[in-house]
Amino acid sequence: MAKTLVFLEHHEGAVQKGALGVLAKVPDAHGALVGSGVRALANGLGTTVWVIDDDSLAAPLPQPRVDVLAKLVRDEGYDTVLFAQSVLAADVAAGLAARLEAGLNWGLVDFDGENGRAPALQDTVVVDVGWTSDVRIGIFRAGALDAGELGGPSDVRDAAVELESFSSLATMVEQAHAEQQGPSIEEADVIVAGGRGLGQPENFSLAEELAKALGGAVAATRAVVDAGWYPYSAQVGQTGKTVAPKLYVALGISGAIQHKVGMQGSNVIVAINKDPNAPIFEFADLGVVGDLHEIVPKLTELVRARRS
Amino acid sequence: MSIRPSDYPPPWSPSEAVSAPSDPVDERIDVGFLIVGAGPAGLAAAIRLGQLIEEQPEVGERLGDVPVALLEKGKAPGSHLLSGAVVNPRALQRLFRGRRSLDELPFYGPVGAESVLFLTRRHALRIPTPPTMVNHRNLIASVSQLGRFLAEEAEELGVTLLPETTAETLLVDGGRVVGVRTGDRGRGRAGEELGNFEPGSDIAARVTILAEGTQGHLTGAALERFGLRGEHPQVWALGVKEVWKVPKPLDRVVHTMGWPLRPGKRYREFGGSFVYPMGDELVTIGMVVGLDYRDTELSVHDLLQELKTHPRMRRILEGGERVQWGAKTIPEGGFVALPKRFHAPGLLLCGDGVGLVNVPALKGIHYAIESGRLAAEAAWRTLERGVSARTALATYDDALRSSFIWRDLREVRNMRQAFGRGFYVGGALAGAMTASKGRFPPGDSATELDADQSLLRTSRASSYPAPDGKLTFDKLSSVFASGNRTRDDQPNHLRVRTRVPRELAELWAHMCPAQVYEVGEADGDDGLVEVRLAPSNCVQCGAITAKGGRLTPPEGGSGPEYTLT
Repeated sequence: MAKTLVFLEHHEGAVQKGALGVLAKVPDAHGALVGSGVRALANGLGTTVWVIDDDSLAAPLPQPRVDVLAKLVRDEGYDTVLFAQSVLAADVAAGLAARLEAGLNWGLVDFDGENGRAPALQDTVVVDVGWTSDVRIGIFRAGALDAGELGGPSDVRDAAVELESFSSLATMVEQAHAEQQGPSIEEADVIVAGGRGLGQPENFSLAEELAKALGGAVAATRAVVDAGWYPYSAQVGQTGKTVAPKLYVALGISGAIQHKVGMQGSNVIVAINKDPNAPIFEFADLGVVGDLHEIVPKLTELVRARRS
Repeated sequence: MSIRPSDYPPPWSPSEAVSAPSDPVDERIDVGFLIVGAGPAGLAAAIRLGQLIEEQPEVGERLGDVPVALLEKGKAPGSHLLSGAVVNPRALQRLFRGRRSLDELPFYGPVGAESVLFLTRRHALRIPTPPTMVNHRNLIASVSQLGRFLAEEAEELGVTLLPETTAETLLVDGGRVVGVRTGDRGRGRAGEELGNFEPGSDIAARVTILAEGTQGHLTGAALERFGLRGEHPQVWALGVKEVWKVPKPLDRVVHTMGWPLRPGKRYREFGGSFVYPMGDELVTIGMVVGLDYRDTELSVHDLLQELKTHPRMRRILEGGERVQWGAKTIPEGGFVALPKRFHAPGLLLCGDGVGLVNVPALKGIHYAIESGRLAAEAAWRTLERGVSARTALATYDDALRSSFIWRDLREVRNMRQAFGRGFYVGGALAGAMTASKGRFPPGDSATELDADQSLLRTSRASSYPAPDGKLTFDKLSSVFASGNRTRDDQPNHLRVRTRVPRELAELWAHMCPAQVYEVGEADGDDGLVEVRLAPSNCVQCGAITAKGGRLTPPEGGSGPEYTLT
């Protein structure tokens, strides 16, 4: 039986949803919380949670995290370390793999305690992936897992902090956040995405209003990002972000395969498009053929009424 | 008023691709021999140089830490290689003499039976195989797979391979080529430096061998800079092909002429299709059309889709699945469009870049390999004591002129041009040329620039089949099947006028197999329309360069990721 450790990345006082999903996915997995003042986050996860809490770990820098995780893996005999995809996770996982001479598989959507599964060839197939190293390191794809049922008291344990001399060479000068309202598209449960069918950039307000009413985020297709209607950070698809919300509402999106591969993991896909032959209707769960300029404002109104 | 693409030249000049070295001398990357392009020509040159170093290590030592470097703009060797391909093994046998047998190379076996068909909408008439097209003893291959194999071979011989690296400018110092400058990486759409910005570097070499393939970026600039252009201009064809997984094996190599192309002289439609088995499970099917065509609605991609609806083709593909798609241009000018010379101080030119293609035989890979090998030997001669570099490089021209490449190309030099007179007249003339071994007609027929052909408007596009996602496909899903996942927020690498007559915008929109160009609105009183671009769709086929624009290299690693083409 694998002895698995999950890196519990946290941000602004909450553990990231993706990391909780990984923890819930693997039975008997333990968690590792690394940071400063993070002890409270360890409660209620229903498993063993290592807390490595120190001022030197306040900044979200990868090297100190590699140090403490490597020590924990060696001291406690973990043979598997799993991460949920993020910029920090990618840095830490790569550093840890090098430090432990361990293999690293990324883009995982499943792990059975021994082997993983990951989409390949631009998501056209899912393949089995394995490790030949003593320690397995894996990164789960964003949105691959639900947070699921976690609960019950945690068995909180402390681990010591010993940093390598070179790990404190990098310091954080500034942490800046892109201006953003509402959740990011990788984290949102609901996404309202707009395509060329919106007609003009101003009509993105339709998508924004609906997203606000649903408590979701706004995404865009490559075509409209290319045309400068919406920022690149909101682009979903092959060359943008891959998302998997519970609900994906596609407004005026034809559904080219380049877009599909970025959102096909969504639980429920709703498409509104005036072209009945648009490919998106082949994989939408609910398709509405009609004029989005009429439908969307009414839909937004109904959602608001229902919510209030 | 008739419009010609050449009336709207791109905002680009060949001098942009030539510069003086700019890095401080101690920051330059010094290599012995530098090869640009990991295609059949560049890889053959690399392998031959590696062999020579192995044979004469004491001479090789004089080349420094990196004796041979090979630049490749694609993600990996083979990523940008696409061809039919039925390969004449002659040049590979010479390259590997005494070292490897052909059985060790990744071929799908020799051509068995072959048919040449003349198609009409519903029927197929078998015609005798023209002598130039006989493929007995030739081998079927994926040139992308062959490229990967040859790249491993080159690396084993100590060649330093640099993939995802473009050669952006030719470095010329004191009238001599001294290397290339590689392209920057990590620039944003407006050219600004992003967080992962990496500037290009000057790579300095004793000899630079350009093996860039069709529409070579630096090759074109070198031909201008050193006055090497031949008497007649180069012309191109555009090929679009698909690889299919099929339930029943195809037992023969098939070539077709006729439908869906039109025979009339005014259309200037020269081309045909090919269907080759790749083992028992795969079939490749492609359509090639000369870019001297005139119809603004002609789309080679859609003609290939139309071709697949022919009963004969349906039968081959039925129950199968498309696994890959790709497009590329082919230089078709042949002998009369060759450069005057194939070398300049510090520089050697080979392969498709200089148009070493035999159109009537549908072959060029073996010429690329042979020219790469000969270029390597000439480059090596610069190391001989008592031989000037100039004399050594000039031996490349002599070797090319006395090779089988020269004899082959001379014999068929006027055939392609004859088809500018329509299919039937062209076919009859080609027959006479074959019978006379090229002695008739005695002179050279001129080629005309593809971009000089005046445009013709028809309603051709209405006959293209609607994509069904099973047998026929749209352009965007085809771009996906090329493996292209180019970063969207990089600078536009396509130089075209963005306000042109509607006819020209429509020509580009239909021509481009990757849906890069879109016809916008007429936004002024002059009747011109806006051309909108989606450059990250580009599969770098090069057709735009033939028809009034200019393809320059995007960031290294961009473009298609072919594996089976």
